[in-house]
Amino acid sequence: MLLSNIKLRTQLALINAFSKILIIIIAVFVLPLTVREISIQEMDKQLIDKLDQLYKLLEENGIEHFIDVQDDAMGYGSYNILKEEYVSIEVSPDTVLTEYIESTQRLVDGEVLDYRIISATFEYEEYFYLIEIGKSTSAITLFEKNLKKYTFIFLIFLLSLSVIFDLSVTQILLRPFYQIIRKLKLINHPSNFNYAVTKTNTSDFKYLEESIHHLMRRIEDVFNEEREYIGNISHEILTPISIIKSKLENFSDNTNLSHEDTIKIYETKVTLGRLTKLVRSLLLLSRIENKEYLLDETININQVAVNVIDEIKERIEVKDISLTENLSEKEFTLFGNKELIHILMYNILNNAIKYTPGNGSIELSSKHINNTYIIEIKDNGIGIAEKHLPYIFERFKKFESGTHNFGLGLALAKTICNYHQLEIQVESKLGHGSTFTLIFPKKK
Amino acid sequence: MRILIIEDEKALADEIEQFLSNAHYQCDKAYNGAIASELLATNPYDFVLLDIGLPDYYGLDLIKEAKSYNADAYFIVITAKGELNDKLKGFEYGADDYLAKPFSLLELHSRIQAITRRKFDHSKAQIQFGKFTIDINKRLFSHENTNIDLTKKEFDILSYLVLNKGRILDRMQLTEHVWGGFYEEDYDSNYIDVHIKNIRKKINQFDNQNWIKTVRGLGYKFDL
Repeated sequence: MLLSNIKLRTQLALINAFSKILIIIIAVFVLPLTVREISIQEMDKQLIDKLDQLYKLLEENGIEHFIDVQDDAMGYGSYNILKEEYVSIEVSPDTVLTEYIESTQRLVDGEVLDYRIISATFEYEEYFYLIEIGKSTSAITLFEKNLKKYTFIFLIFLLSLSVIFDLSVTQILLRPFYQIIRKLKLINHPSNFNYAVTKTNTSDFKYLEESIHHLMRRIEDVFNEEREYIGNISHEILTPISIIKSKLENFSDNTNLSHEDTIKIYETKVTLGRLTKLVRSLLLLSRIENKEYLLDETININQVAVNVIDEIKERIEVKDISLTENLSEKEFTLFGNKELIHILMYNILNNAIKYTPGNGSIELSSKHINNTYIIEIKDNGIGIAEKHLPYIFERFKKFESGTHNFGLGLALAKTICNYHQLEIQVESKLGHGSTFTLIFPKKK
Repeated sequence: MRILIIEDEKALADEIEQFLSNAHYQCDKAYNGAIASELLATNPYDFVLLDIGLPDYYGLDLIKEAKSYNADAYFIVITAKGELNDKLKGFEYGADDYLAKPFSLLELHSRIQAITRRKFDHSKAQIQFGKFTIDINKRLFSHENTNIDLTKKEFDILSYLVLNKGRILDRMQLTEHVWGGFYEEDYDSNYIDVHIKNIRKKINQFDNQNWIKTVRGLGYKFDL
């Protein structure tokens, strides 16, 4: 559609202007024609009157007064001085009585002029005569032309006036509507719902806003319920884990235990640690999916990368991996959640460290390409088999070889990317290493 | 030192009490906010462990209440919700430290000790073994007058072992102390072992005593 994706205000203005232009076109062409038609009819009436008057004169004075009856060739003709009117009487070759009016041209003094002419034949003392009474139509044509011109100018003037009027009136009428729209545009999360009532006398807008508020309240309720639910689950699961952990800790302090038993308790603690990690990751995933994290922080990506490297540095050193950091000097900032972006970078880098053997290398680099900022984390570790590549971002995907157990780390990374509308890609060759690429789109 | 444990999970409160009593703290327990409020009003506590997810009270209000009658107890907030918000709010209300469930009792103890060192007993911050001195507050490690350069993690591990001398610290306890453990999944990793190896190397430049003993299958123990 031509009018798709255009503001209502603009649409209204366009439609208004279009309809007015249509009116002008009709007015400019139809009005003068109508005026002409009316003038012609008026003129015809006058011509008929004049013909009657002429008949009267003929009756009173006789035809001889106008024509020399003896001389066949002679006719009578009379023009007024400006050739606006003329009367002619001559002997008619026809012997049929006719009377008709037509618009036609006559040659007068070497000049072709437009006339409206009434022609009539009558019988007088056994002779047939033809009378013509003509009236110039040049006045009408001129009038018509002028009328066209002035109608056009006048209507253009009216059009401009009414377009300006329309625009300001729609502006005022639609103001509450645009206030509501602006309010909606500012809302991106249930935590910043705005229930302020927009001032309006238009019942439709009132209804619209009330419906939106109603929906927002429902969304907020669902959001809060979900949030509370996640919070409660978190509490319900982590508290028993906490009790077990404390009991195990107190238990292993018991000096009467054999070394083997202490090791068993320790192994139980490690398993419990795995469970804790799992629960926390799942809760984090739920929280992201429930959009509990606000995307309202300005994040310098390079700074996050540097912080993560700082945090993870010792692991790299301990494993004797060489890390090359080659971040673009031109920094890139994005709007999002710092904590999540940190987790994202951490998980990917940690993953690289985990699957890169000692003496391996990891390269972290970034560059600006077109409308994107691209971060690459490249390692020369064990790599990922091609058939596994499509599944590495899935939750709890098990790979038969047992070389990889991604757990939730990469699923979490993917979820964070989706949440921030980033792209994450992976390229890998078994035995040669993997490259994870994060693509940050630049806002226009 | 007198500690009030405010925790609605009786089993957990009991375990905390057992651990802290063994470490010679005098403990009171409150299983709900109302009792906690009463105990806080009538007893002078040095520390309050506060689980903010109480059934009858918004936990953080108890800090406000206690501060209103000038109690000088230090508050360690415990939460299972794991929301960052809780942590920030806790500090806003005047909490002195924060622990997320499940925490290690040893870690809880270490937080109490850290506040004690910071607030009342600065002398405890300097610990000597052999000719070595470790200053926890200033984060310095030296042999006689020679400074020994330790990385941040090495210092954290060594000081944790020294502060808990004579006790076996397993790798998990050490990892949790050093990394805080939120993103941590490699409890069984050898990172701790490598750090210990490096610490030993640095110590052995000055004497040959085996201060840090390896406990097979578990972790390490510092022998004084």
